[in-house]
Amino acid sequence: MPELQIANCKLKNANCCRRCFALRRSATSPEAFVLAILFALSLSITATAQTRRVVAIKVDGLPYELVERFAHERDPLTGKSLLPWFDHIFFQNGTRITNFYVRGMSLSAPSWSLIDTGQHLQIKGNVEFDRATLYSYDYLAAMPFYAKQALGRAVDMPGTEVLDTLGIHPLMDAYDNYERLTSFQLYQRGARLGTWQRAGEERFVKDPKRLATDILVGLDMSDIVYNELERELVEKLSDPRVRYLDLLTMKFDHAAHHNNDRDSHLFALKQLDGLVGRVWTAIQKSAFAGETALVVVSDHGFNTDERVFSQGFNLVKLLGSAGGGGHHVVTKRRLLLDYSIKGVYPFTPLVTTTTQQSYYLKGQSVDYPTALLDFDGNERAGLHLRNNDLNVLHLMLQQLQRQALSPQLNQALKDAFFATLDRARRRWQGDLDQLADELGALHKDIQTQRELWAREPKQFTEAEKEMGKDDQVRRLYARILQLEKFERRYQNDYLAPMKKLLSISPQNFDPFVPKIEEVIPKNAMGLRNSIHDLQNYVVGLGRDGLVLKSDGSLDLERSFPRLNYFDLLQRQTVRNNVQAGVSNHPVDFIATRIPRESITTALTAELQPDDDVVWLYGGADRQALILARAEAAGQLQLRYLPIANLTQDAQGLIRFDVTEWRPDLPLQILEDPRLNAPRTDRVAWLSDWHPDVEWLRALHKTQYSNGLIGLHEQFTIFPAPGIDASERGLSRDGQLLRQFCRRRREAVQTDLLIMANNHWNFDVRGFNPGGNHGSFFRISTHSTLMFAGGESTGIPRGLAVTEPYDSLSVVPTILALTGNLQSDNQPVESLAKRGFLRFPGRVIPEVANNVR
Amino acid sequence: MVTTDAGNRDGANAHMLQACLAAVLAAAIFLLGSIESAAQSATQLALRPPAPANTSEPTRASPAPPALEGGGREDAKTLEDSSRTSPDSESTATTQPQLRVERMPIASVELFTIFGRLDGRRAAGQPAPEIPLLSVVRDSLGDDNPENDRLRYLWMLTYTRPTLVKRVLSAVPFLYQHVGNKTPTSSNAPAPLIDLANTKRQTWNNLFWFGLQNGLFDSYGIPLKAASRNYRRNAIDYRAAHVTQALSILSSYDNLRRRARDENELLASRQMSNDPESSVPNGVPIADVRAPLLADFGPGFTPGEMLEMRARLILSSKLLGGLYGPDLFNFTVIKRSMAVTNSIGHNWEMLRQRAETEGLYFQPLTMPDGTATHALLWIAKSDLFQTNRRFGDRFLNISDPWKDQRLRNWTGYSQVRYFDQDNRPTNVSDPQARPLELIPLALYGLDHKNIPGLLIDFRDTLNPKKRELSRRFFRDLAKNVFSLSSFGNLPYFVGRKTFDFVTGRRGMDINQPTRLTSYSELKLMLSFNGTIDPGLRNEIEQRLENVSLNPLTNDNQAEIQLARRQYSALLDFARRPDGLAAKIERDRRAEMTPFKHGSVSRFFFNLGNVLTFGRYVHREQATSELSARLDSARVIRYHTNILVEVAKSSPQTEVAWDIEMVRRSLRALADHGVGASGSAAHAAAMIFRQTNDDEARRLCLDALYKINNKNARSELVRLFRVEQPQSEWRAAIADHLRKAVTEAVP
Repeated sequence: MPELQIANCKLKNANCCRRCFALRRSATSPEAFVLAILFALSLSITATAQTRRVVAIKVDGLPYELVERFAHERDPLTGKSLLPWFDHIFFQNGTRITNFYVRGMSLSAPSWSLIDTGQHLQIKGNVEFDRATLYSYDYLAAMPFYAKQALGRAVDMPGTEVLDTLGIHPLMDAYDNYERLTSFQLYQRGARLGTWQRAGEERFVKDPKRLATDILVGLDMSDIVYNELERELVEKLSDPRVRYLDLLTMKFDHAAHHNNDRDSHLFALKQLDGLVGRVWTAIQKSAFAGETALVVVSDHGFNTDERVFSQGFNLVKLLGSAGGGGHHVVTKRRLLLDYSIKGVYPFTPLVTTTTQQSYYLKGQSVDYPTALLDFDGNERAGLHLRNNDLNVLHLMLQQLQRQALSPQLNQALKDAFFATLDRARRRWQGDLDQLADELGALHKDIQTQRELWAREPKQFTEAEKEMGKDDQVRRLYARILQLEKFERRYQNDYLAPMKKLLSISPQNFDPFVPKIEEVIPKNAMGLRNSIHDLQNYVVGLGRDGLVLKSDGSLDLERSFPRLNYFDLLQRQTVRNNVQAGVSNHPVDFIATRIPRESITTALTAELQPDDDVVWLYGGADRQALILARAEAAGQLQLRYLPIANLTQDAQGLIRFDVTEWRPDLPLQILEDPRLNAPRTDRVAWLSDWHPDVEWLRALHKTQYSNGLIGLHEQFTIFPAPGIDASERGLSRDGQLLRQFCRRRREAVQTDLLIMANNHWNFDVRGFNPGGNHGSFFRISTHSTLMFAGGESTGIPRGLAVTEPYDSLSVVPTILALTGNLQSDNQPVESLAKRGFLRFPGRVIPEVANNVR
Repeated sequence: MVTTDAGNRDGANAHMLQACLAAVLAAAIFLLGSIESAAQSATQLALRPPAPANTSEPTRASPAPPALEGGGREDAKTLEDSSRTSPDSESTATTQPQLRVERMPIASVELFTIFGRLDGRRAAGQPAPEIPLLSVVRDSLGDDNPENDRLRYLWMLTYTRPTLVKRVLSAVPFLYQHVGNKTPTSSNAPAPLIDLANTKRQTWNNLFWFGLQNGLFDSYGIPLKAASRNYRRNAIDYRAAHVTQALSILSSYDNLRRRARDENELLASRQMSNDPESSVPNGVPIADVRAPLLADFGPGFTPGEMLEMRARLILSSKLLGGLYGPDLFNFTVIKRSMAVTNSIGHNWEMLRQRAETEGLYFQPLTMPDGTATHALLWIAKSDLFQTNRRFGDRFLNISDPWKDQRLRNWTGYSQVRYFDQDNRPTNVSDPQARPLELIPLALYGLDHKNIPGLLIDFRDTLNPKKRELSRRFFRDLAKNVFSLSSFGNLPYFVGRKTFDFVTGRRGMDINQPTRLTSYSELKLMLSFNGTIDPGLRNEIEQRLENVSLNPLTNDNQAEIQLARRQYSALLDFARRPDGLAAKIERDRRAEMTPFKHGSVSRFFFNLGNVLTFGRYVHREQATSELSARLDSARVIRYHTNILVEVAKSSPQTEVAWDIEMVRRSLRALADHGVGASGSAAHAAAMIFRQTNDDEARRLCLDALYKINNKNARSELVRLFRVEQPQSEWRAAIADHLRKAVTEAVP
């Protein structure tokens, strides 16, 4: 077996790479012989797979309905299907999953992370902001990535770096560098800069006649790189060592965002159909045709309708208005990008939209933005608001520095300031101490890694490059740079001023020393707000200024007007409502996470969850809780609890009224005619705990599809090796480093997730009248997954699988097809050694049953 | 020039004389060339009057075409039917469709006309009038075989030859003004907008004019240069406006046809449905009594013809557009269609959001197919008390309405509209209706690049015109007066590019693309849309012509009259023995030229045609042999186009195409492929490589053998080389190649 594997290595030399060397060495010993026999036996027991090669065509935003509709329509010009290759490969000779859904939000970065890894959701948005430091993770930022790549400061896309930190591997990691060919994608490893060069040569040098024609008709630059990627994929099919190839195309997604008409969609799909056909034909001509599986998978559906333009609602403007809190709002995308001269700059930094209606931070937008908005995904927006206590302390310090305060008012304000600070100190001190320890461990780790990097070679042979050794070393360097940035930002920009703030005491207090910017961290949102904070959010000073109570203390309610953000967002309406069937309420509902410990007292024993709770707010009397519990067997159980009037008081006590099931609750489950629950007693069934699979079967065809499961996925911080500080054998520093990693993941959790109503979006970068995604609507989550393969792959022909599956099923099914998965969803040993974990999703037996 | 020096005076006089001569020369060239510059002349040198056309015999519908012509030429109306809607008739039945096609057989050709129901012109208590909009002639060679059909001339019936006064005024530099309408008195056949079968000649004409302008007119001083350039610009714009209208009509027609088909399929599927939850019981006929949007008797045009018309019209606006072949039709049409949808969607949403932000009311206006092409912004009179409200005019490009005293004392047009609780427009009978008196502020075109194009500012009539003028004025000044060229003047090039970039990127409404498209579509929309209040329509129409910078244009009402009159003239022309049928007969004789002459001769014939501004056209004497060859050549071209499409569309033919259709085309080449082009040979060879169907492969070889030109033999050699040794196919190729070489004409 080792000989076989070495034979697959291009250089066929025992010293060509570490792996070959180890294999060669092991092959020479008698123990190795026994091991090899055992390994071969184990393979024959666990799998009889014949799928030697997997080719995955990844399509961004491909709705299954549209593919099916066009595949079944006949083209009068050709006498065949409008999508002849889809029809031929998947409808007649392959297997299609007719009810395949995104698990979580129908949003590219999160969704591809699930599809690529087969593990629970860790990345929650296309853009994530670290609340403490405003560090932004822009998972879609390709241009900065290529620039960093060229400068040697990055190797992998930001999403892959995060997954690496968490210890979660994408499917491509199951193959050695020389065994795979991966395209440009969100979770990319390494950059194929040579592809750009070849693409340019192909387009501009090699075929001048075609170039001249294209210039006259209108040169389409968007195809240049895609065409080259396709060429390279087809070429690589002739390399017998390559066992995994993928190609991502985003054309349909782009077309559907802009245009809602059938012709545009069909044009984009026909181009995709042609690509599928060319790849399939190349596979058929390759040596492993019979053992190659072709997979077409998409990350989400698309909410597009020929009769309706998707309407935008500007949350940035709302938040900047006096009624919205007068926030300076930070975004990662430039507003009205196409109408901005700065918009041509591809390395967009954080963009701050300054408001003139700020209550207390006029002219300070650069230092003190108080809202972070991620509107990527468009049918949803993630909102961070600065910690409410930081707002109050900031306001009070500003007032204390005013000369004109009366002594009585001054004293009352001081008292209020220290009362607030004491309360905050109780909440923050432990966290800051913990952070200081983590940063200490981080500093040591950076030094260790720098030494490690210094010992690594900096020059590589071609053989080493082919094995990816150069990337490994550069990856180490990139990681050091990133950790140094984290250390600097957390230490200087957040920890230091916060410590200084907490160190203020009545004894040493002088309102003018230190300056506000030394104690109120700039560009920081602080800790996440509680429900009480969000329901009583202080946005500035009242119209009458500071007001005293009759007992001489400061009247906090009158001095500092408050906003209830749940209510504010929910009651937004528009006056220009010209499309039938589109509500004049842009916001559908708001969702947020309630820490388990805050709510357990309000729940009966039967309702006690094992995890944090998701609260859905659709109005005072339209609310629900999503409760989660994991049984001993590891089967996730979920429950939907209709409630009303949830509030949290200043002490943290949560109250709400449990209500009956009725129509018009968030997710609109009960009234949905496509709910697949027992008709006799629907309410009883809905009022019980059920495993996620049962919920999926019951809900998947409803308007909100698997939204209930998706919301739990979105708001849960799932365990992962990189954030598991409780692992045995870890040193203290190791524990601290993992805690720091978990902190960073927690810091990106938004205060509020705002979901748009049907045919509404929150895109302010431009206009997306064609359609959008990001929501939990079925039309946005219903996606495409299809398999086809040669005779030996065992993939059934002409099969339409109606059982619903979600994104978690993709990787385990592919691994099952290739014989790399054990019956308990554990990866085979070789993959486990590479760091692959047990897969929580179901294998699709209809596809892989013949193999297992 | 003023001088006291005699010598100089003489020189000046000489210059003056030279300029005058040049002006006379230019005028002569203009008069000669501009009468028929868009398409080949309708009065070309006829050698012999053809046989009288028989227009009185009603014909049956063509037989169902092969699957390639899917959708087919179903029963269309005949001349008898058309008598019901004479061009002068004002009204039609209430259930008439929004758009319909009439087919009139005339000897060996067919004249198709799209009629439109003008809901926007409906008089109180009267049904909407109908006008002919667009006519196309199909040369069917007098048989039922669709494979030898050819579309020829397309008339946009609102497009007319300008009067001499209009022509002269359109040559006056910096005269950016509409100068009255052409009175439709002429009974001459109207000028076609495009000759669909002869687009290459148009391209060479364009190039010739381009050369003439740059090589001759520009060298005779600023007056001639400015005048000639101005005239050409206006003529091109005038034609482009009508191309836009034609495209809009064809697009609406196509959309409605598709929708009608979808609805029919839906009704059929519902009637067939056994779904117990269906609201319609099985077997119960579904009544749909509202007036149809489209005549239910079929399209008249095949999908391929519809595609060709749209593509040719789009390509006609490109300098070398006429040189492109059918392989680019689909791409050209879909690209434009996507660009239009994209612009409309973005501008619709931008205006709605801007209206929302500024406290205004947004109202989209739609074409018959439901496409919103324009939008109105209104302000509520009751909101005008908000005196301290700020106004952002970015993208809206109108003055602040909140500080405008005129609006508070508004005496112009206003409208009371009703809104429901969800702010949706409703009517007065709605018990929850909330009335609002609204004042129109502006009207925008949505099919406009970057930002909505302001077409009408109800408070400042000159506002849109100034913005449109900014683009034209800067260019005319730079090019016609200062002779600045982007190619020869780097500072100008950089400055212009920077200016274009900044204004374009910021969405500033100066120096923007012309509003021509929006302006032309607005005229159509006003006529078609019956939901616009007549008072408002009048207001819009009064202001609309102010936007026009072109002396050649006519206003909306005049265009309706022109369309009727020109259609009448076209019918007269079609009925005349020396009319349309004769003209098509002459065109066929010109089409026969390649059968008698080689490429060198044809080059000189074409050169003669260009140099005489289309007056000279070489034609052959029609004989039965040449007629048969013409028939055969058209059929071969038809099948070649199919095979080229097949070859390039899919790596495995039978997956993407019904193989029987492919075989039929290959068989046609195998039977009659002598004289087929190199692309036919290339396509046949590619299909041989891309199919596993034995019959198709055999036909490919037969076709190559039959074509037997240099390309075909090269393809056979290439196929021979790639086939496996000892294979049956290799032997078959060798056999075909051997025969081909033996029989090849040296």
